[in-house]
Parts: sequence; structure tokens; C-alpha cells
Amino acid sequence: MEKVRCDIIKLIAILSRIKEEYVIIMADYKKLWTKLGIDLEKHDKLCAVLPELYGGVYLTQKNRPEGMNYFNFVVAEVHGLRIQELDDYKAQGGKVVGTFCVFVPDEVILAAKAIGVGLCSGSQFWVEDGEKVLPRNICPLIKALMGAKVGGTCPYFQSCDMLIGETTCDGKKKAWEILNDYVPVHVMELPQMKREKNCEAWAEEIKEFMSKMEELTGNKITVESLRQGIKTANAKRKALKRLYNLRKYKPSPISGLDVLLISQIAFYDDPDRFVEKLNELCDELDERVKKGVDEGKKRIMITGTPMALPNWKLHSIIEGLNAQVVVEETCTGTRYFENEVCEDGETIDDLVKNLADRYMKINCACFTPNTGRIDDIIKYADEYHVDGVIDFNLSFCHTYAVEHKYVEKSLKEKNIPVIQIETDYSTEDSGQIKTRVEAFLEMI
Amino acid sequence: MDNKRYYILFPSHTEGMKMEKLLKENKLKYTIVPTPREISSCCGISIMYSKKDEEKIKVLAQNCNVKTLGFHCVDKKIVNPYL
Repeated sequence: MEKVRCDIIKLIAILSRIKEEYVIIMADYKKLWTKLGIDLEKHDKLCAVLPELYGGVYLTQKNRPEGMNYFNFVVAEVHGLRIQELDDYKAQGGKVVGTFCVFVPDEVILAAKAIGVGLCSGSQFWVEDGEKVLPRNICPLIKALMGAKVGGTCPYFQSCDMLIGETTCDGKKKAWEILNDYVPVHVMELPQMKREKNCEAWAEEIKEFMSKMEELTGNKITVESLRQGIKTANAKRKALKRLYNLRKYKPSPISGLDVLLISQIAFYDDPDRFVEKLNELCDELDERVKKGVDEGKKRIMITGTPMALPNWKLHSIIEGLNAQVVVEETCTGTRYFENEVCEDGETIDDLVKNLADRYMKINCACFTPNTGRIDDIIKYADEYHVDGVIDFNLSFCHTYAVEHKYVEKSLKEKNIPVIQIETDYSTEDSGQIKTRVEAFLEMI
Repeated sequence: MDNKRYYILFPSHTEGMKMEKLLKENKLKYTIVPTPREISSCCGISIMYSKKDEEKIKVLAQNCNVKTLGFHCVDKKIVNPYL
């Protein structure tokens, strides 16, 4: 009897210790979130959705590479560990800036010893709050990013000392004015044509951005720090390019869904760690390629508008059928990593010119004309052995929607099958999209 | 169909990382996952494992002093909301 009593006491002690630890850890991030001004109650609803969504979309995939565990880890800790890292950096006097577009040069942020986080938002969760301050007929990406800030439910937004906007589209351009009431926004004027004088103007914008970053961080940007920033960003581009090159094999050793996740994580993870882990994954994929057996899945290219975390909708639908996404000609795809910045140069001006030259090679529909994008799509269709192209259009993104006509015409001339899918973040039209993709796959 | 999935919870991600290292060294299959809401409302990592390895993992955790918040099972069908 005495022994049983002792055991029970021991058990109670263990249980209460476990409970204590548990409460401490839970409280830890909550304390951090409170400090950042997060609406805890609303944020908790977001936290509740993620594990199930991730489980349903990602963990139901068969035979994933083991190297994906790192990226699983990053997702699981998306509002935890990385936010803690940002907070620790800020506690040492460091600055955090948020960006929304692949035109904002990471190199400058790195050279000023700040941390940059990509903030484009890909969840329906934020749309409702965004619609409180924005018209409804605007793209879901803008509504979501606005909603994430005004609703106080994104710890990344809350960690930012400054946001860096740009003039890629009318919706975003005007959204910065509203966001500026919440947090300082610096806007870079992106030219809309690619003449020599536009490239020069972009170089000037980069210089102004550098001054802004120096002012914010108190760190002078030197030739050496800028060159180091370029090297770091190039290393990320090289690693992503290596990953994409592996997808050219038949079959691709990795799903489109997994690559999409990696691209999305590239925007906010620590760049050095990201490169190390991605290269480890690629080593594993090198081995997989040797053992790959082609199951005859249709190889699909997605072109068009970006897919911000956690927008996994279209990939999920395509790969739920007998098809595999093998390349994304999007901002969360090739546009992010193609073309490295030249690391040579004696002066700041030399390096800024190298930056401007590289960034002005990005083929975004905000430019007129934008024939370079068509050339890219045709080139990738060949390189990645693509069977069909899906031109993905976030609802109300006018530049890409208008450009579809020319994309379709050019691809048809080359006998490359193409369809356009216009959608947002909701699940309502998933069935309809599935039917259309199914029909498209049967046709090609 | 069996919808049971098995998870190890941790008091912190560092303990989870320790466990991951052990599983890797011992060539045991695992997946790092966001903690299912059914087990805990705490955002953060868990490790999903195969039931057949449970005893081995428990011994490893004990021998190497990895702190866990227990071994849990969730019996629920996982569905992709887009399909």
C-alpha cells in the first residue's frame, strides 16, 4: 500500500513537472507575440488551421525526400523560432525590413546588416481583414498582406521596422499609402519600360534605397559589404538553380509542391542556413535521380502570378492528378533566382550597376512590352520537357490577365498546350479547377 | 483504412532537434511536422514516427536524456482541402 502511495506521489510530481514545462514553453511564444502586438485570439485561429492544412497538402504525399524535414521544421516553427531569431537580432540593435517583390534587392538589405523577410501573404485567412480597408475587386495577395497587418495577426509584419514597397502594380502602389499609417514604408519606383534611361533610373532607386537602409540601421554600406551581400544572394540563387536543374530529369526527383514550399521559405529564412539545407537536399536528389522510374506523369509548367505562403492550391490540384509541376515561371519560381549579379567592380557605383542590370532582366508583366517573359516560357518548356503550360492568374491581377492573350498566341504557334486559370485563395472553386485541369491533361 | 498517426511532442524545438539527430543516426524513419491541434494548442514542431519503432525510440530518448512531452496518437483522417 505504502509503495503504491509513493508511486502515485512520484507520478503526480512527474505530471506536474511536465505540465509546468509545457506551460512555460507555450507562454514563451505568447509572450513574444504579445510584445509584438499580435491579436492573440485571432492569431490562435490561424495557428489552428496550419497543422491540418499542412498535413493534408504535404504529409499526404508519398515518398518525400528526407531532406524535406528541414523545411517541415521551418513551417512548423514559422511563427515561433524564426520570429524569436528576429526578436533576438532586434534586441542587439539589428533591424528587420519586410519586402513584397523580387525587385527589391536583398543585397542592399544584407549589406546594411539588416534582416529582410518576404511578406507577400498567401492565405484566405487574411483576406477578410484586408477587405475592411481595400476594395474587394483587388488581387487576393494585396488584400491578404493588408489584412495581415491591419488585423495584427502576422508576427513577421509586427517584427518589421520598415516595409519596402515598390510600384509593380496599381493595387500595391496605393496600398503602401494605407500601410504607411501602421509602419514606415519606403517605396522604390520601379520603371515600367526597359529602355537605357529606365535602367539608369532603377540604379538611382537602388542608391536611394541604400541611403534609406543606412539611415535605418546606422550601418554604412561599403564596397565590401555590398559585395558580400551580392555573394550571399548569389549563393541562394545558385542553390535554387541547382534544385530546379534536378527537376529537368524524367521523372523529377521532387514534387512541385515541395519545390514551391522551398521557394516560399527562401523569402524569409536565414540565407546561409537555407543554402546549406537546400544543398543537402539536392545531394539526396542527385541520388534519387539515378533510381528514378518514369511513371508517365504529365509535366506541367506554371507561369504567371506569384504563390505566397501558404498558397499551395494549384500545385495541390495538379499533383492530385496524374501530373507533376516541373517548373514555375513566376516570382516564387525562376524569376527569383535566374541571372546572378556580377560580383566584380571597384566602386559602389560599379556594384549598383551590376545590381540594376540583373534586376532589370526580371520579366514581370508590369513592363511594357514584356516579350522576354514569352521567350523564357518557350525556353523553359524545352529545358524542362514540359507537356503543357498553365498560365496562373490571381484574380484581378490585370497586367498578367491582359498578357495572357500574347502568352497563349505565342505558345500555340510553338504547339505548346496552354490554359489560363484565374483564381484566388479560397477553396470554393477547387472542384471546378480540378475538372478543367483534368480535361487539359487528357488533351495533352 | 488506418488513420492512426503517432507523434512525439517536445518542450522545445532544441529537444526535438536532439531527437531528430538520434533517429537519423539510428536510421529510424521519421517526419518533422507541425504539432497537430488535437494534441496541443501550442504552435511548434513534433516528430511523427512509426508505431513499430516506439519502444526503440523511447529507449533512445531515455538513454540520451531527450526531454519529451510524451508519445501521442491521433486517430483522424487527414484530408487535403483542395481535393
